[in-house]
Amino acid sequence: MIDARPERSILNHFADGARSAAGITILATAALLVAATIDKGPYIIVNTIVTGGMWALMSMGLALVFGVMNIPHFAVGEFFMTGGLLAFFAVTPFNDFLSRHPQPFVSAISPLIAIFAAALGGYLLGVLSEYIIFRPLRKRSREQWVMNTFLLTLGISVFMINGHQLVFGTEFKGIVNYWNYPSLSIFGVYISFDRVFVFTFAVIVMAALGVFMKFARMGQAIRAVSQDETGALMVGIRLNKIHALTMGLSCGLGALAGACLLFMFPSYPTVGIGPLYNAWFVVIVVGLGNVAGTVVGGFIVALFQILTTVYIGEGYGFVVPSILIIIILIFKPSGIFGSPVRGVLDR
Amino acid sequence: MEHSNRANNGGIRKALGNFGITPLGGLSFVVLALLPFIPPFNKEYLIRWLIGAVLLGAQAMAFDFTSGYISIVNFGFCAFFGLGAYTSAVLAAKAGVSPWLGMFIGVFPAALLGFLTGVLTLRLRGIFAAVMAWFVGLALMGITTKWIKLTEGPLGLNTPTLLKTSANLPYFYIVLVMMIVVYIVLKRVVASPIGLAFKAIGQNMEAARTSGINPARYRIINFTLSCAFAGWLGGFYAHYYGVLMPDVMSTAKTIEVLVVAYIGGRGSLWGGMFAAIPFVYAMEFIRSFFSKLSGLNLLLYGLFLILIMIYYPGGVAQIYQTLVGKSKNRIIRMLTNKDK
Repeated sequence: MIDARPERSILNHFADGARSAAGITILATAALLVAATIDKGPYIIVNTIVTGGMWALMSMGLALVFGVMNIPHFAVGEFFMTGGLLAFFAVTPFNDFLSRHPQPFVSAISPLIAIFAAALGGYLLGVLSEYIIFRPLRKRSREQWVMNTFLLTLGISVFMINGHQLVFGTEFKGIVNYWNYPSLSIFGVYISFDRVFVFTFAVIVMAALGVFMKFARMGQAIRAVSQDETGALMVGIRLNKIHALTMGLSCGLGALAGACLLFMFPSYPTVGIGPLYNAWFVVIVVGLGNVAGTVVGGFIVALFQILTTVYIGEGYGFVVPSILIIIILIFKPSGIFGSPVRGVLDR
Repeated sequence: MEHSNRANNGGIRKALGNFGITPLGGLSFVVLALLPFIPPFNKEYLIRWLIGAVLLGAQAMAFDFTSGYISIVNFGFCAFFGLGAYTSAVLAAKAGVSPWLGMFIGVFPAALLGFLTGVLTLRLRGIFAAVMAWFVGLALMGITTKWIKLTEGPLGLNTPTLLKTSANLPYFYIVLVMMIVVYIVLKRVVASPIGLAFKAIGQNMEAARTSGINPARYRIINFTLSCAFAGWLGGFYAHYYGVLMPDVMSTAKTIEVLVVAYIGGRGSLWGGMFAAIPFVYAMEFIRSFFSKLSGLNLLLYGLFLILIMIYYPGGVAQIYQTLVGKSKNRIIRMLTNKDK
């Protein structure tokens, strides 16, 4: 068999890629980023990268849980809040101790412990929610599953917001920074160590998750379940275990984001709404259930949020991005990268 | 004599039945109308709660019209409600339009926005409509908070009230009539061929499509109608409380409506109204009794929603079905129009 198509150069592939919806959006975003940076200074890039990584992590969890379990998770914002809270309570005793007995090693390691504790707490809470909330419903009926689970996650969200208010009050529980190190100078821009860490950490977690999903047996099992639940069951994958793991991962990622961004978003009952909005925004932009696309989507959405705040004003953070969503829903409802898991049109 | 009396009785039943009201339903409306005179309820603040409850019940009906029949959760419901409220309030406060007229004008922007949201999302999977309505709601709330020239922002817009009196009782009857109108109109729509299409879409999209129903079109009709009623009820809200703040559009308010609608039972319409009264009283009671534990009432909201969804998805309507609907008792059957 001879390939009849003419030889295509790499450039042609690039040109094709740039003409697709994803290419257009990414190029336009990059152009916007450069323009805004020239206009307002490099902090736009820094903020986009720092928060974008975290929105990518959160929406990754969201996409995962939607792709695998078909649950539109509306309580991820509250896991963000819980993560911040856990990290705050984990890091405060350390800081008290360190203010009395300064110790460079402990002060370097304590924020990491706090962040891991928060992520672990989020994971366990997620697994718990799967066991006591989603599993009973799955056993009872799978009719109108998406709508029912949507309402269940709303219930969880309301419960957690007001549980926080009831137990810990409404005041801000935040810290100034995790590490008291001097700011790093990158291309003549001073960036606090926390921000550099947060971005690096997000990249590491994303890479680890990618490797896990691609190569680990559990990750492969998760992907199998997302493609065909019955088929996965037939080859001996234990669905219950996978569901618990997926829910735990999703909630753990939310909590991780909350813990990492504690210095930007102090924990208070309704702090999760903004991050939840962003995460959903990312998921719709890149396509429902598309896990890999959220990595790019997180940064696009972060840029949009920051540009709105910088150029238009604080309160319009919810208004302007909606226009982008409307454009996407009109022209490409499956998102810029497309939804690979299940169709978007109602059948 | 007796014969004519019975015929007359049957005539009334038939007339009520045309409006989707069973004798039992009519009886409960009468009881509700008399409730403000029955001793524990005849205090001013309790009537105020009752007005809130009836308004919430009417909202729950309009909400249930979409969630119970076409299985779409309008997660921005209170934004449409607030849009109607703000339209009417701004017209009354800034342009001097009579609140009575403004209430009806407020229907149009709410319906139009609902229509546009529907056109954009209702051909897609249900979750898109829910998320988009939520986005629209947050955007609207952001605009009302920031457009201070028009809406006074978070300080609150003072609006003229419907009546000059400060008594609550007349307002109670206004909202009661509005609730009954919402109920009758929605019930009539549900009983019509359009309603049949709604039910078909809600139960099995594939089968509905095979029968020649265009799901997107009917879903848009349904969504628009529900939003229009939300806007109308919003007009009452604005001109009853006399002050309007952007948080009337908040997601928390939508969840309030949603919880009541689900406790009432999806697809029943009346269930929401039935659940609203004890619910609002219980919540207000908890709020005033445990005022130190702020957030407790909403915590219970969340818990209620979870428990209802898992263990008793039929809500009040299901209790009714098991207790009354299948009853063999002759009087009960007659009261519920089951004796034919």
